[in-house]
Amino acid sequence: MDFELTEEQRLFQETAQQVAEKEITPIAERVDESGQFPRETIAQLGELGFMGVAVPQEYGGAGADTVCYVLALEEISRACASHGVIMSVNNSLYCEPVLRFGMEEQKRRFLAPVASGKSMGCFCLSEPGAGSDAANQQTTARREGDWYVLNGTKNFITNGNEADYAIVFATVNKALKHKGICAFAVERGTPGFTVAHLEKKLGIRGSSCAQLTFDNCRVSAENLLGKEGEGFKIALATLDGGRIGIAAQAVGIARAALEASRDYSKQRIQFGKPIAANQAIQFMLADMATEIDAARLLTLNAALLKDRGLRHTKESSMAKLYASEVAMRASIKGVQIFGGYGYMMDYPAQRFMRDAKITEIYEGTSEVQRMVIASALLS
Amino acid sequence: MHTIVCIKQIIDPEIPADQFKLDASTKRQVRGGLSLVISAYDQNALEVALQLREKVGGKVTALCLGESGAMGAIKTALGMAVDEGVLVSDPPLLESDPFGVVHILAKAIQKIGVPDLVLTGCVSGDTGDKVMGPLIAEELGLPCVTFVSKVEVKDGKALVRRIVEDGYELVEAAFPLVVSIISDDSNVPRYSKLKDIMVAAKKQVPTWKTADLGLDGERVGAGAARLQMRDVSIPERDSKCEILDGETPEERAERLALRLRELKVI
Ligand SMILES: Cc1cc2nc3c(=O)[nH]c(=O)nc-3n(C[C@H](O)[C@H](O)[C@H](O)COP(=O)(O)OP(=O)(O)OC[C@H]3O[C@@H](n4cnc5c(N)ncnc54)[C@H](O)[C@@H]3O)c2cc1C
Repeated sequence: MDFELTEEQRLFQETAQQVAEKEITPIAERVDESGQFPRETIAQLGELGFMGVAVPQEYGGAGADTVCYVLALEEISRACASHGVIMSVNNSLYCEPVLRFGMEEQKRRFLAPVASGKSMGCFCLSEPGAGSDAANQQTTARREGDWYVLNGTKNFITNGNEADYAIVFATVNKALKHKGICAFAVERGTPGFTVAHLEKKLGIRGSSCAQLTFDNCRVSAENLLGKEGEGFKIALATLDGGRIGIAAQAVGIARAALEASRDYSKQRIQFGKPIAANQAIQFMLADMATEIDAARLLTLNAALLKDRGLRHTKESSMAKLYASEVAMRASIKGVQIFGGYGYMMDYPAQRFMRDAKITEIYEGTSEVQRMVIASALLS
Repeated sequence: MHTIVCIKQIIDPEIPADQFKLDASTKRQVRGGLSLVISAYDQNALEVALQLREKVGGKVTALCLGESGAMGAIKTALGMAVDEGVLVSDPPLLESDPFGVVHILAKAIQKIGVPDLVLTGCVSGDTGDKVMGPLIAEELGLPCVTFVSKVEVKDGKALVRRIVEDGYELVEAAFPLVVSIISDDSNVPRYSKLKDIMVAAKKQVPTWKTADLGLDGERVGAGAARLQMRDVSIPERDSKCEILDGETPEERAERLALRLRELKVI
């Protein structure tokens, strides 16, 4: 493992830090409170290249690598986890599969506008009855000549309310189980494709979480990504990359919690001295910092393997599992260090805790990550 | 239109005050591992140059005298889509006083080829010097306009907006020209686009040393310094918190105003 950053990785990090600090940190609390999608800053991130970091420039992206991507995502998420997830879904869950599995024409149509930040993408795998058991797809795709007709409901879709393009998984034959699943690129506005409902959430409140319905929604066979029946493989390969992004998001949230509580502990006086003078507080900070470094190393390791074209399923799951649990622990400690103020909405500690929780759930719960890791160990 | 922008790498002024340290012997800031940035007004100067290029074409070169790590500043400038960069880095040169620095920069500018426009920041972000622009102009025998927010080209001449108290002057000047830049709403430095960073990272940047520049040894380095910093210190800051009571917001505001006047803040 060699983690000396290259020049471009260092510059990526620097730019992400600047944008996060100047543009996103100041609005993070407002985004959380209002639950409004941060259109302007997301558009700005898009113009700068953050919405298609690892997509080649010929398809509208920045042409960088996964390490650059996780460095940038950590900085953005440190400022605001809502921005983090919006960016992560667009990059990892939308752009990546179109880049990897799309034909040339599909990349021109479906990738370039999204990677360049002009449009937005989302990823529709989960369903009311298909969460951890994602292969249990009930959404159907019925072939009719050069068309497929989609019917079904997708649940909890991040960016679902804003996305111009969606990757939708559906089965051509339930009896084939996961081998019947296909992936389609579907444009917003296609008749029968509706945003049915928006969820109210505990955290990452600036990102949308939508229920999407497909009611006799006709999409051309030209929109099929990969071959018929390859959808589940595409979903799993996509999540291998996506989990690295969520790990980076979690590291960012954990760092925000650490930095806020470190600063607060130096300034909060009790018993005539800063609370940071107590070993009990110091040890919490020390544990947070150590775990965050470990989580970042796991994340970079998975990113590096991906950049080298090596298998990284297990390492991505390890990074996601560990980093998300670190974010949760660190943000709970953060609230503790802030004491009563940590429980108040006026201070950011509670936001970090609410935002951290989702990282243990989406793109596979911690239990699912352990299943993935164990099956890699035992196979 | 060729513009050379002189940039200086300094310790990020935004670092927490308690990380700011002075070296008692050199009277300089201790760099340690602190984050380094391009001095703020130099960033505005880069922005002015880039806007000018967008309007009239040409190229922008960033020039920096500094430690080898100052390559980072050049790369940052290249990330903002500056066309080329030159680093002058030779440890003895860094001991020069402002007159020495100007001699070095002027020689580097001559080696690049005197451009249409040389830009500097109006004030150095760490030492607070305001001399670079005028002294470079003197050294190169060029006209100079200071404290400028914006440069335009009209009928082959420069039209520059010079900020003065309560207003601005519009100055027309012939190229080649040296201009020192002040910050303004019109020249807020842009963020690097990630795709430009990819180009910047790969770009070759020459590093010039004393021997490359044909410097006058009498004028550079510690021995030639005519100005010496005798003493610097970090001001002690004391903060106190006072809480003012009042029944209504109006009452509290009034008390606050009176208290501020008492303290001669307003
Ligand atoms: C805010 C948010 C955004 C989301 N964004 C997207 C998106 O953009 N696209 C998308 O497709 N999905 C998205 N999801 C869905 C997310 O991926 C699922 O919620 C997640 O995979 C868990 O599925 P579930 O909610 O159905 O929980 P369930 O699968 O019902 O799990 C409930 C509990 O049972 C446990 N469990 C389940 N099976 C097992 C087992 N075999 N062994 C042990 N424990 C088990 C789980 O770990 C969990 O603790 C999002 C979810 C949320 C909350």
